[in-house]
Amino acid sequence: MALPPHRVDYLPMADRPKISWPDEAKVALWIAPNIEHYEYLPPRDPRRNPWPRSPHPEVQGYSHRDYGNRVGFWRMLDVLDEYGVRCTASTNLAVFEHYPDIGKAMTERGWEIMSHGIYNTRYLSSLTEEEEREFYVDCVDTLRRHTGQDLKGMLGPAVSNTVRTPDLMAEAGLIYHADWLHDDQPIPINVDNGPLVSVPYSIELNDVPVFLHHHDTAEFVEMVKAQFDTLYEEGENSGRVMALALHPYLMGMPHRIQALEEILDYLLGHDAIWQTTASAIAEHFIEHHYQEFVEHAEAISAVHDAS
Amino acid sequence: MPAERSVGMDHSHYPYSPLPTRSALTWPSGKPLAMGALVLLEHYEWDPPPDAYSLRNSSGGLIKLPAPDYVQLTHREYGHRVGVFRLLDTLERHGIPVTVAVDKLTAVHYPWLIDHLMQRDCELVAHGVAASQLITSKLSEEDEAEIITDCLDTLEKLSGNRPSGWFSPEGVESSRTPELLAAAGVNYVCDWPNDEQPYKMTTPVGDLVSLPLFLEVDDEFALWHRRASLASWEGMIVAAATRLHVDGQTSARHMMLTLRPWLTGQPFRIRSLDRALRQVTQLGGVWAAHGNDIVKAFSES
Repeated sequence: MALPPHRVDYLPMADRPKISWPDEAKVALWIAPNIEHYEYLPPRDPRRNPWPRSPHPEVQGYSHRDYGNRVGFWRMLDVLDEYGVRCTASTNLAVFEHYPDIGKAMTERGWEIMSHGIYNTRYLSSLTEEEEREFYVDCVDTLRRHTGQDLKGMLGPAVSNTVRTPDLMAEAGLIYHADWLHDDQPIPINVDNGPLVSVPYSIELNDVPVFLHHHDTAEFVEMVKAQFDTLYEEGENSGRVMALALHPYLMGMPHRIQALEEILDYLLGHDAIWQTTASAIAEHFIEHHYQEFVEHAEAISAVHDAS
Repeated sequence: MPAERSVGMDHSHYPYSPLPTRSALTWPSGKPLAMGALVLLEHYEWDPPPDAYSLRNSSGGLIKLPAPDYVQLTHREYGHRVGVFRLLDTLERHGIPVTVAVDKLTAVHYPWLIDHLMQRDCELVAHGVAASQLITSKLSEEDEAEIITDCLDTLEKLSGNRPSGWFSPEGVESSRTPELLAAAGVNYVCDWPNDEQPYKMTTPVGDLVSLPLFLEVDDEFALWHRRASLASWEGMIVAAATRLHVDGQTSARHMMLTLRPWLTGQPFRIRSLDRALRQVTQLGGVWAAHGNDIVKAFSES
């Protein structure tokens, strides 16, 4: 595998056990606003500079993102409320300490809080094993302290990871990892003490790469609709997962917010979807399909080991 | 070696040959345009050997992250697990035989997939060791020759057929590659996107056919590096095929689409390929073929 060794067994989409979502839904849809804080003067990390544009502080980049917490989040929230979306907020957990108003708004709505680390400017990639272990304790405690929720999953802070990450996540009681872009279905991740599964996230159906680097709003709407159409057709045979990754500093802009309404109109206008959270997807998969997936992958590799 | 200011190419792989001066090429079917698809199955190692050379702007993922870059590695892995089946289904639906470039590590780590490709009558093209181990002039001649033979032997062992075609990982060659490919018995190479017809390459140890890919409609070139919109890419494919179909009535042309399962195999992109192929195949006069069929027809013409 082209991945940290032995984490994932090959399971081709063309030869898999069927996934059944609740109420015969074809697509499990999770919507993930990324609620982030990038530090004004982050600690220096020799391997990654969060603000490469200038010596720190980089006020423009900092405020572009800060806009999300001051303005964009609240505009997005109105739209999400209007459509009754239950989000999985990918959250830098220090947001609960810096911006309790945002924390309160999310918990009041019953959103799931997924860890996105503590700050988006503190990366896992440079941590020792012990430091990374302490990091999960901090994440679990911080979330419990502010919301009473048990932490179920993580998208690494600024998508950073180590080769040990899945083992240490599972050890801390987490059940899903969103940094795996390898599939349209949850997949078992091999860890010392499991279970841990990947829940498909997206860096393509994601406003950051789309708007910062490539395309305008109309293209994003077309991409989202096309993604959904394909998965909805295929979901007839076996359930699929679709993730929509959003950032308030981009999607909450006045010139873009209408696109969110158009997207939600389209997606939620279909009957056979399960609009849910990442942990609900992971839990359903672990309960109903995990074992079958593991056994089928073993059967596939056994055929070839014998040949 | 620096160019000498004299007539012709600044290397000896092939002579200059302006297309209008060539004798007219015809395909066996009499059709003006041969259409093929080269699907790339490329293995990206999570921990490549320290002296291996990779592209500085390799595609996939988000930004260049410190290792292990789960995002890039898993984005590429998506192709092997999910995307490849969408590409195969779509190409088959439009009657386009699929040629698949497979590197050694893909063949070794995904034997199920190799069997599957053979069951679906795909032609396999040898594609080096891995996308994280490019063939460059930094290799010794001995090592490069060994890589080529090893890749061909591995694919032959695992698929039952010895590939007749070659595509270097990321299209990167050394100045010795054509000669070493000819010495290894390779019949055609896809590394040189410089023509609309196959042409002959000559090396001190024998001839080789160059089967050019169409770089501007290559999905990575168009959609990843140039960030063309999907509508623009779809339009490009159709416009190119339409024009080649006209020009091919004077002297036949070919068009090889290069497609990456992790990229065009994504749910939101596959529909654009599907629409483009529907329009292209409606042109009539399109001969859909494997790479080695096009090369064979060229060699016998």
